[in-house]
Amino acid sequence: MVNNMPKHISSGLKYIAAVELKSKGLSHKEIADELDLDRSTVSHYLNGRNLTWDSIDVANTIVNMCPKDFLSMMQVLFKDIDKIRTMTLILKSEEYKTIVSKSCIGCGLCVDLCVMKAIKLDSLKAKIEADLCCGCLICEEECPTRSIRILEVNK
Amino acid sequence: MIKNEKEIKGNDFNITRSAEELRKLSFNDHVCIGCGICESTCPVEAISLDAIANIERNYTGTYFSGHEKITQNNVLETNKAGNKTKLTINEDKCVLCGMCSGLCPASALTLTIDNEPIKNIDAYPSYIAYAECNDDECIYCGKCEIACPRDAITVKRNLPERAKLVTGEITPDKDTCIYCGVCEEMCPADAIDVTKAIGEEDIVIDTDKCVYCLVCKKACPVEAITAVCRLCPYGEYDLDEADAEITGTTIISEDDCISCGWCEGVCPTDAMTVKKPFEGTLVTDPEKCGTCGACVDLCPCNALSFPKTKGPGERSVQIVSNDDYCIKCGACARICPNDAIEVSRTGVNHTPTNSESWTDALEALKN
Repeated sequence: MVNNMPKHISSGLKYIAAVELKSKGLSHKEIADELDLDRSTVSHYLNGRNLTWDSIDVANTIVNMCPKDFLSMMQVLFKDIDKIRTMTLILKSEEYKTIVSKSCIGCGLCVDLCVMKAIKLDSLKAKIEADLCCGCLICEEECPTRSIRILEVNK
Repeated sequence: MIKNEKEIKGNDFNITRSAEELRKLSFNDHVCIGCGICESTCPVEAISLDAIANIERNYTGTYFSGHEKITQNNVLETNKAGNKTKLTINEDKCVLCGMCSGLCPASALTLTIDNEPIKNIDAYPSYIAYAECNDDECIYCGKCEIACPRDAITVKRNLPERAKLVTGEITPDKDTCIYCGVCEEMCPADAIDVTKAIGEEDIVIDTDKCVYCLVCKKACPVEAITAVCRLCPYGEYDLDEADAEITGTTIISEDDCISCGWCEGVCPTDAMTVKKPFEGTLVTDPEKCGTCGACVDLCPCNALSFPKTKGPGERSVQIVSNDDYCIKCGACARICPNDAIEVSRTGVNHTPTNSESWTDALEALKN
């Protein structure tokens, strides 16, 4: 049971993601493709079967963590970087405003650090794609010239 | 978290960060001029340049500046005995931004991104500074090679064949020849080979070397050589100009060249064009100068000297800067223990950049 805990929790996260995608109007097949699951598993999830409500509670707690901790949990639970990105974009719905000030020297450290691959260099300046930003603030904290600000947008 | 790796080879080193892209900063001690621009430019203060160690010069050669190189410098001796490290970069602080590389006037620091040097990447500004040789004008005399204080120039000259510039006829009469070898010993062009060994006697004249001076004919005791020079009586009647053409190559090493202007200054045919990275002035203060010669030793451009005054061994007590060959790098002002030199840069010639921070860093070189 203990050995299976991470698996249960990741299943819980996938369940939440499936529900989220369903609420956006995606079909079972589309959800299965997006989350890399069997269609039958998606159907089970959406019919409330095969999962303990405990694991969903834990998964919900993880979803409500601050973005940086959430990302750390995702990195332990899902080793695959593309899966982490997909899940993070579905589960975290906050919007961010990103500001790169002119003091940016284009060192590219943020590009290398960004798990979401949201940052690219353009003319020696970091360019952040806000839609991909998960708000972890790693770039802001590590920027050697303190040139990045990530602000959460109130909806 | 991402960590930089450092690889040290003698005084040279590389710092690398490998993630989305491979960034590699290389330091080449041999071409570092000790100007300190990297140290003052680094946005994360990761670079330190040793003030004492940096005055060792790696270059030898005959200098055209008319001054004798001062070797009795105590600081120089200390350096040879001890500390050899010139420049250090703290790899934990360095963020591989490449500003030191972009602003190094000597290509001693080079940042490559996925193996492409940033000077080849348009987004990065680089100095508009170069030395260029116009092959149409160059006569491959090699004066620039001798004058270059950085050993950056290699000249190869192919001379025309001497024998093609003279014409004539020469024939030894082997029946008359006594194989005494007088002609071989007298020949100024080393064109005759006489075999004296008994039973194997022979005489061979190499017409590729012979200049038809007729010395052999005049010296031969038995008149065994028939020779005529066609050049003297008929002038240059059959000289093909192509035979007299001097060809060659002049190669300027971009990494070693610091665009000091010596090659342009000594070129007798105006084949060289030099563009310097900085505009500005260098002012020396004779009141403060302690005549230690550290600046003269350090100057990568060989632009500073103590002019000779009266006789041998006598030198002026005042440093003189030759503005023609100074690039305003500021290495001398940095090394001077008495603050007797002031270098001020009023212009920086560089390719454009959209980055405000890089523009600011380039502007900050002016003072």
